[in-house]
Amino acid sequence: MDWRAIDWIWHIRGSVPLPPGQSSHEAFDRLDPLFRVRDTYHDRRGDELTFSKSNQAPQDKMATFDGGTLRIERDGTGAVLRFDLHSRILLFCFLAPLLFLAFAGLNIAIGVLDPPTAAEKAEAKKKQEERMKRIAEQPLHPIDQFLGAPAPEKPKSEEEKAREKAEKKGKSEDVDEDEGEEGPSTTPAYVFAGIFAALYLVGRILEKWLITKRFRQHLWDEEPALDGGAKPA
Amino acid sequence: MDRAQGTRVGNRIIGAQSPVTVGWENIGKVEGGPVKKAFFTWFQPTVLIGLIVFWYYAPNSIATASTAIMIGIGFRLFLLGLEWVNPRHESWKLTWKELVTDLFFVGLGYTVLDTVEMYIGDDAIIEAVHNSFDWDKLQWFTGLPLLLQAFLISFIFDFGQYWMHRGMHNWYPLWLTHAPHHYITQLNINKGAVGNPVELFLIGLGIGGFFDFLPRAALLAGTLGLAVGTYQHINVRFNTPRWWRFVFNTTEHHSVHHSQDFEASRSNYAGTWIIIDRIFGTCVDGEAELLGMEGGRRMTIRETLVYPFTEAWKTLRERFGRPQASAVPAE
Repeated sequence: MDWRAIDWIWHIRGSVPLPPGQSSHEAFDRLDPLFRVRDTYHDRRGDELTFSKSNQAPQDKMATFDGGTLRIERDGTGAVLRFDLHSRILLFCFLAPLLFLAFAGLNIAIGVLDPPTAAEKAEAKKKQEERMKRIAEQPLHPIDQFLGAPAPEKPKSEEEKAREKAEKKGKSEDVDEDEGEEGPSTTPAYVFAGIFAALYLVGRILEKWLITKRFRQHLWDEEPALDGGAKPA
Repeated sequence: MDRAQGTRVGNRIIGAQSPVTVGWENIGKVEGGPVKKAFFTWFQPTVLIGLIVFWYYAPNSIATASTAIMIGIGFRLFLLGLEWVNPRHESWKLTWKELVTDLFFVGLGYTVLDTVEMYIGDDAIIEAVHNSFDWDKLQWFTGLPLLLQAFLISFIFDFGQYWMHRGMHNWYPLWLTHAPHHYITQLNINKGAVGNPVELFLIGLGIGGFFDFLPRAALLAGTLGLAVGTYQHINVRFNTPRWWRFVFNTTEHHSVHHSQDFEASRSNYAGTWIIIDRIFGTCVDGEAELLGMEGGRRMTIRETLVYPFTEAWKTLRERFGRPQASAVPAE
């Protein structure tokens, strides 16, 4: 399979121009601190640098990437650093929405395969109502009465519930006939699928911008203290 | 503090293997103008008192679980903003990759773990116990003052969590489930969720279900978890009041617990009520910046999910497996 068609999902490619007159050797020397961190291996051969990383600490300035190639190319106008970096966390974040959609599917399946019976539902409802009734019957502690805390509401009678339902229908509000979905809720799974889809888009743009900025800072000496240490100060 | 020798705390030497600052007088304060200092001094108690007053007086139509969930999400988002504005350590700043990792484990908690707990969680166990013994609920509990009920719900849960957590640090099978959480190398709002799901399931077990309590008391108890327990994992520097850090857990305490120093990590087990650690002699007041295990090796998501099982398998094979034939050169 030709992965190049889809490898943009987990690859970040870009380029940074080198300052005029900067040699490949000098450019890689300036980038060197970024690769002198824990569990990072790099190899320099002429105009090319390859690296790989594992178990990157969050304090590693290139923690998002697991490996890649940096190449210096020259033409008549000047030199440019081209980079091609790959990231498992980008791929993971891209696939995470599918995983959470699968969890939602699993909960739907549980609702279909193992639905609560009418008797179980009635029993659970009865227990809850009994509990609420018991709680409502007991007066609040005198301290709470004195301080003005609201007393628990008494459970509504069947007539009150029927009246409320009729009123809602009259106002054309959504009335869930089944009073809740069968089985475990799917809402959190859908919410997290959405969150990870958004995070992927943010990461794809942000990480490219950050690494381009970092390379530029090192190459152009825009940052007085070259960072890259995996250990905090 | 002498890094090589550490600091004596009771019978123990804290910080001999990795730097730990011991004693409140040695911990840095919030720096900046008077407004900033006042904000980061009064924020924690103001929010706690404000939320308690809110839940105490909110009408029944507002005092619901869904309101609590919305407040919880909003509060955590706000705290993420505070991490950005006033970080405790630059080296703990939240990155995109860390956010993705943290939210993945938060997501597991809200989805798969939630589903599993429906079948084998504490509620299911308590339900079974009730049905087996026809055990009437402890109804007297609902007659207590609201705030006392809330305190007891929170304290009893935390007391159980303290011993479960301490057990995890002292009994190898339980430690295997907890170890992945100790591979985090920085504290941020959602780092409490990072760990093996088996551990998250175990630490969530409680006995609160045995009691009948007013729904409002449960919401008040939840507020203690939100407005105190959340600060365990946070990268914000506060001037936490003296009374607060005597009674409640703080990010300083929890950073000591996550320190790379072995002795330091065997302290501050409570979630919300650090006073439980004081009672049992496991409290160390201080802070640490260098966190983690194996010198700060970060565990991948995959390893976090499988670690208890792979390590258990390795241990069992070493103990009961057939000895490997050693390679002896032919004569």
